[in-house]
Amino acid sequence: MNTAIYGLLFVVLAPLFGGLLAGVDRRVSARMQSRIGPPLLQPFYDVGKLLQKTTRQVNPVAGPLLLGHVVFMAATGALLLGGTDLIFVAFVFALAALFLILAAGSANSPYSFTGAERELIVLLASEPFFILMMAGICKVSGVSTFGDVLAYPQWVAPQLPGILIAFLIVATIKLRKSPFDISTSHHPHQELVSGLTTDMSGRLLAYVEVAHWYESAILCAFMVLLFNRSWPIGLVAFGIAYALEVLVDNSTSRAKWQLVLRSTWAATLVLCGGNVLALFVIGR
Amino acid sequence: MSSLLAFLIAFPLAVAVVLLFVTRAAVRNLIVIAASVAVAAASIAMAVTFGNGNAIFFGLPGNLALGHSLLVVEAVMTTFVVVVGLRSRRFLAPLLALTQLGLMGFMDLTGRLPEPDLGRLFWFDRLSMIMVLIIGVIGTLICLNAIGYMRDYHRSSPMIRGRRTVFFSVLFLFLAGMFGLVVANDLPLMLVFWEVTTLCSFVLIGYTRTEETVGYAFNALNMNLLGGLGFAAAIAVLANQNASLELDKLTAGPVSGIVLLAVALLAFAGITKSAQMPFSSWLLGAMYAPSPTSALLHSSTMVKAGVFLLLRLSPAMSGTNVGYLVAFVGLLTFLFASLVACTEQNTKKVLAYSTIGSLGLIGGCAGIGTPELAWVGVMIIIFHALAKGLLFLVVGTIENRLYTKDMENFDTLLSRLPLVSALALTGIAGMFIAPFGIVVAKWTAIKAFLLVPGPQGALMLVIMAFGSSLTIFYWGKLLIKILSMKKVSDYERSIERRVSRYEWLTEGALAAGVVVVTLFLGVISDKVVIPYAQSAFPKATPGIFLHIEPGMLIVMMAAVLFLPVLAIWASRHVMSDEADFYSSGRGGNADHVMGAALGGARTVTLRNYYLEGVIDGGLMFRVGTTACAALLVTMVAYGMVVR
Repeated sequence: MNTAIYGLLFVVLAPLFGGLLAGVDRRVSARMQSRIGPPLLQPFYDVGKLLQKTTRQVNPVAGPLLLGHVVFMAATGALLLGGTDLIFVAFVFALAALFLILAAGSANSPYSFTGAERELIVLLASEPFFILMMAGICKVSGVSTFGDVLAYPQWVAPQLPGILIAFLIVATIKLRKSPFDISTSHHPHQELVSGLTTDMSGRLLAYVEVAHWYESAILCAFMVLLFNRSWPIGLVAFGIAYALEVLVDNSTSRAKWQLVLRSTWAATLVLCGGNVLALFVIGR
Repeated sequence: MSSLLAFLIAFPLAVAVVLLFVTRAAVRNLIVIAASVAVAAASIAMAVTFGNGNAIFFGLPGNLALGHSLLVVEAVMTTFVVVVGLRSRRFLAPLLALTQLGLMGFMDLTGRLPEPDLGRLFWFDRLSMIMVLIIGVIGTLICLNAIGYMRDYHRSSPMIRGRRTVFFSVLFLFLAGMFGLVVANDLPLMLVFWEVTTLCSFVLIGYTRTEETVGYAFNALNMNLLGGLGFAAAIAVLANQNASLELDKLTAGPVSGIVLLAVALLAFAGITKSAQMPFSSWLLGAMYAPSPTSALLHSSTMVKAGVFLLLRLSPAMSGTNVGYLVAFVGLLTFLFASLVACTEQNTKKVLAYSTIGSLGLIGGCAGIGTPELAWVGVMIIIFHALAKGLLFLVVGTIENRLYTKDMENFDTLLSRLPLVSALALTGIAGMFIAPFGIVVAKWTAIKAFLLVPGPQGALMLVIMAFGSSLTIFYWGKLLIKILSMKKVSDYERSIERRVSRYEWLTEGALAAGVVVVTLFLGVISDKVVIPYAQSAFPKATPGIFLHIEPGMLIVMMAAVLFLPVLAIWASRHVMSDEADFYSSGRGGNADHVMGAALGGARTVTLRNYYLEGVIDGGLMFRVGTTACAALLVTMVAYGMVVR
């Protein structure tokens, strides 16, 4: 019953964490570009404003699908912290991402459709990593839930160096950072306009933002899982990883989807596959 | 012999014979309906009567010389193959069939084949029960669907000469053969049923008798006869060693020595029939047959016979090198079929590659041979039979309305055929949407692979991680197309009203089946599949099986019902303030006519990504086929050498 409370806490607190992180991100990015940047709480003001606006919908399915996106994203975190099997969590995580893709695709419009298709490609690119990461953690620790891994008396991370490096690459996708932000664009006047969110407005766009906050928090929880013996160290590790992502985001231009898919798969195959193979050959 | 069991085999056979002589459509439809209901009822009765306990053996009364009777049946079937082969000047199939007949005839007539124990000819346990239910319920639903489908099919393709008399007759012969196959315990008897299904699928695939389909039909016949030859060779090997020809004794536990060769040959037969690489091409050829044929071959019969045999052999293969080779053939088939599926545009082909992938996954589980993976294999069989049967029938329905099976022409399906879309969405949810059926199975498979010792375990995990992600991609593309919406004309709306009631009834029933099986997932697992897995591996340490928590069940039901319910709601929901999509001020409308840069208007086409330049479908197919062929040759050679 205790673990269920953690799940519930995640549902409540993760948006705060994710929103603050987005605020910090915007400030840091601004400084890198010699700007001052918005207030720290700007992401919350934005979502508040979005919720007040009139929502213009192009069809009736987008709303429920995006609600599904938020709910399943929150559920992923809740299941993770609530003590559900880690590999199952990886599958629910992919399902949550799928709902956003379906919502964008349903608009039947050129920009949204292309964004949705590209998001599907990045899902294809990133999903093998998450399955192998969970498998690696389970193999090293011999247990399969969040709580049990944290209670495992040895460090998990040192045995998963390949997976740690691959995490940085795949996080670029999940955080929608350049060069892997092929499905969206936060900057105007680009080839994709606003990618998969082009035809979303008002309340719907707020759902997407909140879901993304959950997504960031889930990634952070994954990092804590890797640094299982001390969650503050996990948080710091995530902070460093995030800072690297922001730096890369501001210093690279968007890649083509072929490069995204090839490089992510190659990294997953070599780094994660090699890491898992080593675990099986050398044994515990 | 139980009268129910006799009925299940003899009654569809009798119906098949009767249907051959009924040429009036109305009479034929009545017979098909009545017979389907009777067969479905009998299969349920069989499950209720005998399915709650452990294995039961049935025999035949009296002391007839079964061996010689089987030989006569085989001779008749061989004659058929020889006649059709010579008539179309294709000689490989007759050669294979004659070789098999020669082998079996030699064994039998020289007294090398022991007379079977008449009391143990048939074996009915929980696995047979599941198979009987799948064949009896899903198989007959497909027969009913065919009534409506075939009428529209011939209406829309008038140049194809109707042979519906033969078509429906063969459907029932197929059911009889399948029932016999899944309850047979004596291997020579099973071989006869095995070849019955081979011949039935040959006739069904070649239904339209065009040059193209006849080619595919012979391809299917050749590959499956090759498998049948492997089956016969396995019988010869066992008989030569005076080993038991009873399946239950053969599969009581891990085998070694020459018996392992027999098991390898039987597994080879199972791999051909379940269309795993390198034998996938026959199932792809079956796409050109009418949709009920595809549905039948893919969901409840034929390929399921192949994986059924592999699952039966699983305890015998457990921990042996033959088992690992079978496992890698299956897993590589899963990976490469999924890669190819991502590059396919023909919806039926995507479904076909998805079937091949799922079958590979079952084969992979069977080859490793642990109770947990046997559980996974059976779970995939159940969900795949329901969902894939449904999807093929739905795609058939769409094809008969929109005259296309190209995925690119499915856009805005939700606006045009809302209820059909809801059925398709149920099927897709059943096949893959995260925490349901097959995904539960994939998840358990990953957990089981974690326990496989040595580098094999790591390879299995990597294959699974990539293969599973690929399935998300190709299903996702299909979902995007189906779920997109636009304003439709009254004419487009009216198309759906022309779907026949047979199609509504059968596809609705299968969709309901998907939902009901999800709801009772825990019960089915606890009461049927787990006991089966434990009884198949009595010596293994009691498996740690998945316990389906209530929380998980809620997530699963939500995942499976969400999209279909949303689809039905959205199609009835009128939006007062529906906006046009954003088009950079170029006046995009529902038909995608947009202003061009230098004036004028252009139509924009939204086309899925097929990963051109990154994944070459043809190359992937060849690589997978070659790799699996090499593994199979190694497997048989290993079986011959190892003592």
